[in-house]
Amino acid sequence: MNYLLTTLTKKQEVDSMIRDTIDKVLVLCFGRASDSIFLQLDEILYKSVREVSKFATVALVDIDSDDVQVYIKYFDITLIPSTVFFFNAHHMKMDCGSADHTKWVGTFLRKQDFVDVVEAIYRGAMKGKLIVTCPLPPDRIPKFQLLYKDV
Amino acid sequence: MPIQNPNPNKKKKKHSNQDDDEDDTVQGKQQTQFEFCKVCRLNHNQGRRHIYFPNHKKALSSFLYRFQSKFKNDVAFYLKKPMPLRPEHAALNRLWCVFCDFDILEYDSSFACGNAIAHLASAEHLKGLKSFLWKYGGGMDRMDSFRISESDFTKWEKKCKLLKSEAAGGGSHGSLIGPLNDIHNESKSEYVNSFDKNKLDCLTSDVKCSNSVVPLQDHTIERSQISHSKICTVGPQILHAGTGVGLGARTPNGLPGFFGNQHYTHSVPKEGPAYSCPNDGKQVYPYEGIAIGDGHSQGTSSEESRLQSLQNLTQISSSAQENGGGNVHSGAPPPWFSAAEKIQLDNKLNQGLGDLVSSLGEQMKTSKLNPKRVGAAWAERRKIELELEKRGELVRHDFGADWLPNFGRVWQSGSRKDSRKEFLGENKTWRKVDSQIEKPSQLQPYISKRMRTENTAE
Repeated sequence: MNYLLTTLTKKQEVDSMIRDTIDKVLVLCFGRASDSIFLQLDEILYKSVREVSKFATVALVDIDSDDVQVYIKYFDITLIPSTVFFFNAHHMKMDCGSADHTKWVGTFLRKQDFVDVVEAIYRGAMKGKLIVTCPLPPDRIPKFQLLYKDV
Repeated sequence: MPIQNPNPNKKKKKHSNQDDDEDDTVQGKQQTQFEFCKVCRLNHNQGRRHIYFPNHKKALSSFLYRFQSKFKNDVAFYLKKPMPLRPEHAALNRLWCVFCDFDILEYDSSFACGNAIAHLASAEHLKGLKSFLWKYGGGMDRMDSFRISESDFTKWEKKCKLLKSEAAGGGSHGSLIGPLNDIHNESKSEYVNSFDKNKLDCLTSDVKCSNSVVPLQDHTIERSQISHSKICTVGPQILHAGTGVGLGARTPNGLPGFFGNQHYTHSVPKEGPAYSCPNDGKQVYPYEGIAIGDGHSQGTSSEESRLQSLQNLTQISSSAQENGGGNVHSGAPPPWFSAAEKIQLDNKLNQGLGDLVSSLGEQMKTSKLNPKRVGAAWAERRKIELELEKRGELVRHDFGADWLPNFGRVWQSGSRKDSRKEFLGENKTWRKVDSQIEKPSQLQPYISKRMRTENTAE
């Protein structure tokens, strides 16, 4: 699929990706290629990957592959597309006003929003913070309902 | 003119309202016109804030200290002991009153610092003093140190009157002034005389403590060089190279040509080394010759004979120097620096500079990364690992299928390590459940109890 970014299907690939991205933000997007929102997200990512390339790397993870299920469980991914941020193999949290700070759920409305989010993560990481606040106004953040243990 | 404070002891706020440069107190920012601070000799527009600045405080303290020293040394002295003032010395006794900006001349006073004392005791001076201290923030409690109280003034006046009456009676007090004004000259002459005396004493005494610091009592290098220019015929001079000579102790490897020519057998007072002590270099310094010369001219105090003896010795040293091929003064490299080494050193220097530049560049890069950033330690380790892998030294070892990144889970409270443990624990239970499910359960046909009992009964 040419219109997608580097898609990872194996756990080992994901591991190496996490481990080898040093001093750069790693953006891992979990989703399904057939999902329209995921495609929308991919579109935005594709446009901005070059611009953030100096301080971020972007990769997609296909949730349908079996190998990656561990990660899906580990990261508590219940809604797709979900984006998880890493920095130097440490997971970065972001407070967007939603219930789940560990990941970004949904797509970005604009390319600039994505760049702002990644920049915020990078700045926080360089200062040594594991959690950062989202720079976007609440109307730009996609809302979702987080279910507790499938309740 | 600022308002005068009638009570000097009261510490008052400096924000007076009749100042010419009125402050615009707009949210603390004060924009005033420029005024000149006499203490700092500075034009500023800080208004009343200026006097609290540390620079101003320093300047003020030194300013007042200077005036105070003049006041104490001269005026206070004469206040206690009034002395008649000769017209020729009047020029020396003027005083600039810094508070009143007023030069006090003594041309028409009959007593030393008479006008000054009168001024300092006056009410005008008090007024000027107060305004100065208020304006420049000197501290109103110090006022009395800058003025003469009325009681002191009256005492002084009485003494003056007494003196006058005595003077009218006899002129015995006129001679007092003589030594006063010649103090400076006398002291100088004393110094000069004592200089020579000290020298002689040291020379004649048997100084065994060669390494003790002896004050410079003889010519400096310059003078000695001038003396060296006068050449005399001399035989090789002799120095005692025993324990006394710090020179010998300090120069182990021998100078190029100097020591070879010298035999140290002459026992001489050892203040020579005192001069050569600073000489660590391997070059022959002229004043070694002097030191030796001093010892040689034992007992002679006349300069000429000393010079001659100096010349005797220095001739040799200068010839040795010429052989040496230049010295520090001519800018030649030290003899331990062979030519080849010098070239090497230059190359190294150049390389070092290049290295410095490149390493600086690298340092700039690496130093930009905040050591406190997230996962810094991990990143450093990983970088080293990657480099080693690149070089092929370290075989890449897989982290194992069970490696999980540092992740803070959603419904987890506690540290991230706990989250991983939790997850692994959950995983295990999952696996157990799976394996239990996968175990094939042997299906057995249902045998009723009646049947079983019948079987067993049979």
